[in-house]
Amino acid sequence: MNRTSRYPMRRILVFAVVMVVLVGVFVVKLVDVQIVRASALNVQAQDARSVPVTVYGARGDIVDADGQVLADTVMRYDIALSPKQAMKGDVTREVPDPADPAKTTEVDVPLEQVAAELGSVVGLTADQVQGIITAALADNPESDFAYVAKLVDTTTYEAVKALDIPWVVPYQHPSRRYPNGAVGGNLLGFLREDDGEPLAGLELSENDCLASENGEASYLHSLKDWVRIPGTEVVHKEAHDGGTLQLTIDADLQFFVQRIAEEQRRAVGADWATVTVMEAKTGRLLAVADVPTIDPNDPDATAEDDRGSRSFTAPFEPGSTFKALTAASVINAGKGDPLSRITADYRYLPPNGANINDSFFHGPTPYTMTGVLIDSSNTGMSIFGERLTDQQRYDDMLKFGLGERTEVGFSGEEPGDLHGGPGEWDNQTKYATMFGQGLTTTAVQIASVYQTLANGGVRMPVSLVDSCRTADGETTATTSEGRRVVSEKAADETSAMLERVYAEGWLADTWNIPGYRVAAKTGTAQVPDGQGGYLSGYLVSVSGFAPADDPEFVVSVSIMNPVKMNSSAASAPVFQEVMSQVLKKYRTVPSGAQAPELPATW
Amino acid sequence: MSAVPAQSIPAPARTPGRPRWLRPAPEAVRRAKPRLAYAIIAVAGVAAIVVAQLLLSIAVTQGAYEVDKYQIAQAKLDRQQQQLREDLDRVQSPQYLAANAEALGMVPNANPVFLRLSDGAVTGDPAAAGAGTEATAPLVPNALIDGVPLVTEHPTGETPTQGKTPGAAGNAGEAIPARAPAPPPVDGSLPTPATH
Repeated sequence: MNRTSRYPMRRILVFAVVMVVLVGVFVVKLVDVQIVRASALNVQAQDARSVPVTVYGARGDIVDADGQVLADTVMRYDIALSPKQAMKGDVTREVPDPADPAKTTEVDVPLEQVAAELGSVVGLTADQVQGIITAALADNPESDFAYVAKLVDTTTYEAVKALDIPWVVPYQHPSRRYPNGAVGGNLLGFLREDDGEPLAGLELSENDCLASENGEASYLHSLKDWVRIPGTEVVHKEAHDGGTLQLTIDADLQFFVQRIAEEQRRAVGADWATVTVMEAKTGRLLAVADVPTIDPNDPDATAEDDRGSRSFTAPFEPGSTFKALTAASVINAGKGDPLSRITADYRYLPPNGANINDSFFHGPTPYTMTGVLIDSSNTGMSIFGERLTDQQRYDDMLKFGLGERTEVGFSGEEPGDLHGGPGEWDNQTKYATMFGQGLTTTAVQIASVYQTLANGGVRMPVSLVDSCRTADGETTATTSEGRRVVSEKAADETSAMLERVYAEGWLADTWNIPGYRVAAKTGTAQVPDGQGGYLSGYLVSVSGFAPADDPEFVVSVSIMNPVKMNSSAASAPVFQEVMSQVLKKYRTVPSGAQAPELPATW
Repeated sequence: MSAVPAQSIPAPARTPGRPRWLRPAPEAVRRAKPRLAYAIIAVAGVAAIVVAQLLLSIAVTQGAYEVDKYQIAQAKLDRQQQQLREDLDRVQSPQYLAANAEALGMVPNANPVFLRLSDGAVTGDPAAAGAGTEATAPLVPNALIDGVPLVTEHPTGETPTQGKTPGAAGNAGEAIPARAPAPPPVDGSLPTPATH
């Protein structure tokens, strides 16, 4: 008998204990690995074997009222190379064997030739490409990254891929594109090219709607041919597309208006011009032209001051177009009507010491309120304005939406300046504010004033954005109620007087639109120089609406400092052409009756 | 001594009817030979599972390559679609249309004239559109259509091909496929639909 048989139980016990301990250790380790640290280890393993890739969410489109795309996101590519790898030697390439076309043979292509090929694709010379490589290596001998070209389009991308150079890598770079160029460029704004940060316009103010969110995912791939292994994709973060922003703007009309405005701006040598087209019954902006206009595809080509929308951001003293507001206030307060009679001289010296002059000489003239508007008499308007207290007029200005930003909330929008209020107005300002000097408004605010008069005294909120449709299909539309500013009678009587201005004013032949009744008023305003005085140039303007019997559209034109034609005759043709186009485009039925006659004098 | 016949203790009387506690074990049934069939089935089952798994795995892998192929194709088509959409957007931009219209000799007419059907009245001043309107291109710029040829700049009688023009590998400078303008189908009068 051998030894083992002597104490068999003891040996078995020892063995059993060892086994139990061993199994116990394994079990503990198993639980630890499989349960306790499972997720952390999984992540670690995934990270070790896979590379995270960015999944780009597309920034939302901006479309016009008809859905025509004004801004959209396209994929562009940055082409980068590795200088270190490039210098390592020739590129080996498989080419068809000249001896046997069915087979391929490997040839070595020297750097010079590769550089020339790459250069010709991205629009550089071979020397420039090699220059990039040597410059990067001079900076850092271990340099592994340098850009060859940025933001190239897909054609170039395909061409670069076709070259199959191992040390050249294209990177995706979402970019913004404005297919219609400068059409609406003043409104759209633009993005910073490098990182897509919105810098101006709707891109900035409506960024909450448009912004997308990039996601991140990773997956395992086979070693050799980089094929994605099924079931290994892990989405770390979902990508979200931005929402589609629909504007109230009509791109075709916007194009036409910009074209007319720019043509006239050049013809009269003006600094800038703005044209606003608004729906009279809704307050929707159909076109807002600011010339010169930025082409957001190439912001640098436009001077920095011209890159925004002056209609919103550049308040000016409106001048005589403002008289319509004062007239409506007077009628609304029951202190006058279109036939109210006054006698106005060319100079008026009210008791408080102010000094009011007309822009033309005339003796004491028996004006009706209609006549005051037709001849645009400052003295006559002052005599009517006196019938209200300053506070009453100020309150009406506020009710018309002056002195505060419009509902649009455009980026950089200015509220205009009413110079505090009646308490802070000096004696001259108290009168100047009756005919549009001594206070500033934006072009859009003036259009809104005329919208109110056209719409029976109800001011509709100004809107530039129709709706925002998120990627999930949810639509948020902005709707809000109008607000009565002056009585319907006051608005209608003011409208009737403005029709007489259109029919009898000195520009009647220039701005005539046959077949339609139009109400309009010109303005030739002095421009403050910022130091309490006035510049020599004028801001000439026309605001009006048509058809006057059932107003549909408001058009407001402002031209700054037209040196070759320093009067509202510069703005009248623009008004005429734009209003004609608007009426034609929207198939507006011509007016039937003639405008009511109102006597200008008594 | 009487010859008493030696008597053994009588065997306990067997009670009839009472079963015996012990009985001979029945002859063991011949143990069945382990059936080969079971083993074969089990092994074959395992083998089948292994093979099935292998085949599935191969199929999935094969599928992965196919998926990859399609994904690459899709990415390529997406790029192509984007390219075409960009071209389309470019050529339908108002600047390009206006430039083409001007190149074809068209001028905008700023004098709208209306014919009222109810009484045949003509409102407006019928006036011929005058030439001499300034060219649109510089008024409303569009960097995207720089270098895109107008319809009139294509050689006549030759429809530009869909492909890329050689050497046009710039950012926005590719040739846009544009159709030669078809002559309007007019023979002396405007075509009128036959209605009753």
